Amino acid sequence: MKKPRVYATEGSIWKSILLTFPMILLILLFTAGGPPDLSTPEKSIAFLTTFFFLITLFFLILYTGKTDRYRAIGFVTLALFFALTFIVNLIKARGSMTFSQENLLACEIPFCHIVTTMIIIPAVITNSIIFPGSIIGGFASIASMLVIVIGVSLALGRGFCSWGCFYGGWDDGTSRLAHKPRIKKVNPVFRWFSFAVLLVIALISAMTLNPAYCDWLCPFKTVTEFEKVTSFSILMKTIVFLSLFVALVIILPVLTGKRFQCTTLCPMGALLSLTNKINAFDVRINKENCSSCEKCVKACPTLSLTAEDMTAGRPSITCMKCGKCIDACTKSAIHYHIKGTPNNKNYSWARNLFLYPAFLLLVVFLGGTMQSGIILLINLIKTGNLIY
Amino acid sequence: MGNSAGFLLGLSTGVVCLAYCGPVLVPYLMGEAKSIYGNIGSVILFLIGRLVAYLMIGLLSGIIGSRLLQLSALKPVFMGIIYILLAIMLVIYGLYRFQEICLGRSRLLGKKSTSRRWSFWLPMAGGFATGMNLCPPFLLAITESIKTGEIAGSILFFFTFFLGTTVYFIPLPFIGFFRRQQALRIIGKFAAILAGIIYLYKGIIMII
Ligand code: SF4
Repeated sequence: MKKPRVYATEGSIWKSILLTFPMILLILLFTAGGPPDLSTPEKSIAFLTTFFFLITLFFLILYTGKTDRYRAIGFVTLALFFALTFIVNLIKARGSMTFSQENLLACEIPFCHIVTTMIIIPAVITNSIIFPGSIIGGFASIASMLVIVIGVSLALGRGFCSWGCFYGGWDDGTSRLAHKPRIKKVNPVFRWFSFAVLLVIALISAMTLNPAYCDWLCPFKTVTEFEKVTSFSILMKTIVFLSLFVALVIILPVLTGKRFQCTTLCPMGALLSLTNKINAFDVRINKENCSSCEKCVKACPTLSLTAEDMTAGRPSITCMKCGKCIDACTKSAIHYHIKGTPNNKNYSWARNLFLYPAFLLLVVFLGGTMQSGIILLINLIKTGNLIY
Repeated sequence: MGNSAGFLLGLSTGVVCLAYCGPVLVPYLMGEAKSIYGNIGSVILFLIGRLVAYLMIGLLSGIIGSRLLQLSALKPVFMGIIYILLAIMLVIYGLYRFQEICLGRSRLLGKKSTSRRWSFWLPMAGGFATGMNLCPPFLLAITESIKTGEIAGSILFFFTFFLGTTVYFIPLPFIGFFRRQQALRIIGKFAAILAGIIYLYKGIIMII
């Protein structure tokens, strides 16, 4: 049976174009930051490709009514281009992906949002930031990252993990590689593990005055930067984060179809889950339409939906607002929702109001990164060398 | 030196003590899901364990004075052993009734996770082991207590130091507010296992 149309834009070219128009202006603003720089063929190709890529994604989200399908394309692209540009920049600046004690002492380590979870308690105790990065100045400074984290969590809650995080696309991508997951059932209790990680690393970081997660666990050091192996202790750390990358970012997502690293390990995800409580948007189940087929439960990549959650009419606080469950539902029983409004109407309004800030977040992170990445790839094709 | 010196030192460095005790005590309190009164009991037992450790160190620093600090050459081995003991305790606690509480075999949900005897000794042993932890404020307290030059003065110094640090433990029983949240209990169990693994590694590295 064909799924009835739910959203006003679904299947309507004109309405979809109309609602894409404001986003075109925003994409122009955030990808070009002024008049587009078309001074060289490489820059022109990079800008135009990024611009049309983003517009197409947004248009398709509106026109098809499928959120996650097109969000994921942009999100995975962000992760890949971020890793590419980050690594190339590092190699240009330092000559390798590794950093040394000198780089640490010179506070030259870029600050990523995950560190936020470890600096709060030590900042209270010692009045200082326990991370070897610069406090202000530049995109990856501590101040700018904190502002981004606070702003985004207020606007979208844990939606950041599906729309803006430049790491999340890794296991989002690998979790889609196998058409049918080999392991069909994963105990949802593991969604709480990342909270235990948050609790322990926040306390251990306060105890050692050292960002414990970055130091020991972060699997994404594999695709960004890591400490030069100069001692047994650093060797152990390297083995730990590499194993976590292979297990949680590649093997388990492929086997289960779930975003294992984001769901079970990331302390930032756990912290952002708490902000889901104070955020205007959530995902709700309309029990009148629900046939309890549990397609949404199977689809959810973050173990945020269980039979009990369905009875409660909403996913657990770990929901990343990716929209995969909404895409999977054939009864239109699950939808984006604005807190304080009726659960069974205004689906289009709630979805559109959510989509603008969420997609804009993707644009902000992906716009510049994708253009830089495309220029690198063009140069690779032209010169055979990525680092020029 | 007045008796207030130890108290003030404890008060000024107590947050660091809490940071050292937190990875042991907080997962335990969450995993037990007791009421606020129940948690007050657990925190008191933990503090008694800590107090016993402090008084022992106070006695030692009174008896052997500055030679206690000379023994700090042995500090890594001593700390390593303490960490391994803590790790074993945490992992055992984390795994105790793990299946029922965390993996959905829910026959026992809502019941206390440890037996009476264990819920008496476990927090006390945890407090004793963390009390033996030579954290920076504690080392400072040893140095200061030695200056008193007498056994009674040294013990008194540690007692007042303990009182000063204890102020920071007052909010912990309020975790009991959230005890109906089954998720917190699961997180507590997971956190105990995770902290145990970290302590185990730290302990081994300190010894070898
Ligand atoms: S409940 Fe739905 S929107 Fe939330 S994470 Fe799961 S699939 Fe995504």
